[in-house]
Amino acid sequence: MKNAGPEMQVDIGGLIIKNPVLTASGTFGYGSEYVPYLDITRLGAIIAKGVSLEPRAGNKPPRIMETPCGMLNAIGLENPGVHAFIKEKLPFLRQFSVPVIANVFGETIDDFKRVTELLSESKGVDGLEINISCPNVKKGGIIFGSDPDMAHAVTREVKRLTDLPVIIKLTPNVTDICLIAETVEEGGADAVSLINTLTGMSVDIERRIPHLANVTGGLSGPAVKPIALRMVWQVAKRVKIPVIGIGGIMNASDALEFLIVGARAVQIGTANFINPSATTDIIDGIEDYLKRHNIDDINDLIGTFDEEGNAC
Amino acid sequence: MNGKIVKNQQISAGHFLLRVTLAESFKTPMPGQFVMMRDPGRIDPLLGRPFGVYGFERSQEEVTVEILYKVVGKGTLVLSRLRESDFVEVLGPYGRAFDTYPEAGKVVFICGGIGVAPITYLAQHYRSLAAARDVELICYYGASKAENLVGIEKLKRICSRVFTSTDDGSHGFQGLITERFSADISSYAAGSSKIYACGPRSMLKELSELVAGNSVFCQILMEERMACGIGACLGCTVLLKDGGGRGEHARVCMEGPVFNIGDIHWG
Ligand SMILES: Cc1cc2nc3c(=O)[nH]c(=O)nc-3n(C[C@H](O)[C@H](O)[C@H](O)COP(=O)(O)OP(=O)(O)OC[C@H]3O[C@@H](n4cnc5c(N)ncnc54)[C@H](O)[C@@H]3O)c2cc1C
Ligand SMILES: Cc1cc2nc3c(=O)[nH]c(=O)nc-3n(C[C@H](O)[C@H](O)[C@H](O)COP(=O)(O)O)c2cc1C
Ligand code: FES
Repeated sequence: MKNAGPEMQVDIGGLIIKNPVLTASGTFGYGSEYVPYLDITRLGAIIAKGVSLEPRAGNKPPRIMETPCGMLNAIGLENPGVHAFIKEKLPFLRQFSVPVIANVFGETIDDFKRVTELLSESKGVDGLEINISCPNVKKGGIIFGSDPDMAHAVTREVKRLTDLPVIIKLTPNVTDICLIAETVEEGGADAVSLINTLTGMSVDIERRIPHLANVTGGLSGPAVKPIALRMVWQVAKRVKIPVIGIGGIMNASDALEFLIVGARAVQIGTANFINPSATTDIIDGIEDYLKRHNIDDINDLIGTFDEEGNAC
Repeated sequence: MNGKIVKNQQISAGHFLLRVTLAESFKTPMPGQFVMMRDPGRIDPLLGRPFGVYGFERSQEEVTVEILYKVVGKGTLVLSRLRESDFVEVLGPYGRAFDTYPEAGKVVFICGGIGVAPITYLAQHYRSLAAARDVELICYYGASKAENLVGIEKLKRICSRVFTSTDDGSHGFQGLITERFSADISSYAAGSSKIYACGPRSMLKELSELVAGNSVFCQILMEERMACGIGACLGCTVLLKDGGGRGEHARVCMEGPVFNIGDIHWG
């Protein structure tokens, strides 16, 4: 049964989701952690913590450090590996009738291919987000995301092996994010998501040592929002595939900024740590906004940004 | 959930006692569990800060949570500036509690600095266990100087004996509390004694060496920086021994903050 509210459904590269609010990988665990705090069935989709071919122990502690209006993390993609993910985590995630998107990480192109195959065969996921942008691991990740040829190659190889919608997650740690976005579009990506975290660091001046054992970490939270928004706006103008906006979204107003400049959907990351029901609060806030502005369908709002400011 | 501050009082230089009332739906914390607190109006500081529960009362309409904290940085400074009637966000109670045994013979608490807060709540819990009346509660409490032995009066009311140490000798033994404790260690037999500790990492590490090779029950509360407090971010991990020597990570907010001392890989 459909309620009388505005239409919130969007299409993110062949995956139809009931509203444009997703969880950002690595900030929502494997779902179970949040069950006591929100109605998970209301989410547009769940993007799980990144998964690699083999289990990864992650980086040494300390792994996080707060910085003004944001946080640095260097978790190092701790995860139980794709086999355990399929066997132990997916069945739980599936019970909510919410699309599940796996976030895939690899150190080599072969890793990406193998994980893609295993996840596609498992029939347990509805889409793949390919993480070619993790700044916190020694090998893989960002290396693929910052070299256009490598980004193209990973996209093409992954697409060849799966019928699932493929979202390529981009790093902001590049000179021209639009170039990478165009390249992965050419490689066959169904959508792009951006941004992953910005590489940063923080120093303990008393001891003259880094605050993070990994020395550098990825910056997230409100501090990155203006940069994320600018990048989403630029990329949305350059590519035809859907763009999913990520970065410092704390509330519905932040999410609406991204949608207006062209994001087809948004992911909520760090906000989940501060308010475990941030995602559902944002869904409610977007709906209220649409009602207030008499917009019947969210797709009539997406990309309506008036750069020249002529509308008023 | 948002709570209302009824008291946020400096009790000695840099140390504050905060009392907050919350809706009665707030669960009763078990000793060792913690809450995440933040000033709800701010995005700087952004994340909640973890604090062990120091006191808790439940009435019909509301509950009162007490924390004892030391100002060490931005988060605790902002907290110390909140006034009566201000709102503070309190999430929790989170984490694994201490295991308690009403039949224990001697219960020994070892605390360093602000580690006294969660230990006091645990001691009070022991005192309230009806079956534990015969249990002897003994506390070793160390701080840098006498003024920093915050909450010592309350501890004295709960425990039958309280030994102290200070770095400058201004109260009790001069030196580390682990040194003071080690002088008595032979009187705590493995079968009938339980040891609980909370304090700086260096103190806990020292303690782990003192009790190594002895099968005495010893649980400690570990501190790490946290983001989510509920197991989702993997930011708060500590290394555990796994036999293979490589170490395995455990989340302080989920598998902890209470750990068996023998399980920690001190690195
Ligand atoms: C389970 C648990 C229970 C705790 N209980 C209490 C308590 O009852 N009373 C109390 O005063 N404090 C307690 N703490 C420590 C408290 O969380 C930190 O002091 C606080 O987060 C510091 O925040 P800040 O912004 O003021 O300091 P920051 O500016 O973040 O840091 C200042 C200094 O404190 C250290 N620090 C930061 N966060 C932590 C942390 N989570 N644990 C240990 N050291 C940290 C930093 O490395 C730095 O040296 C507890 C911590 C945990 C994990
Ligand atoms: C603790 C933490 C862990 C993360 N883990 C992953 C991950 O496994 N895979 C990934 O693609 N992105 C990961 N990210 C990046 C987020 O998904 C997101 O892109 C980023 O945090 C920016 O959004 P935010 O400002 O809303 O948090 C992680 C971020 C944080 C803070
Ligand atoms: S604080 Fe996030 S996992 Fe422990």
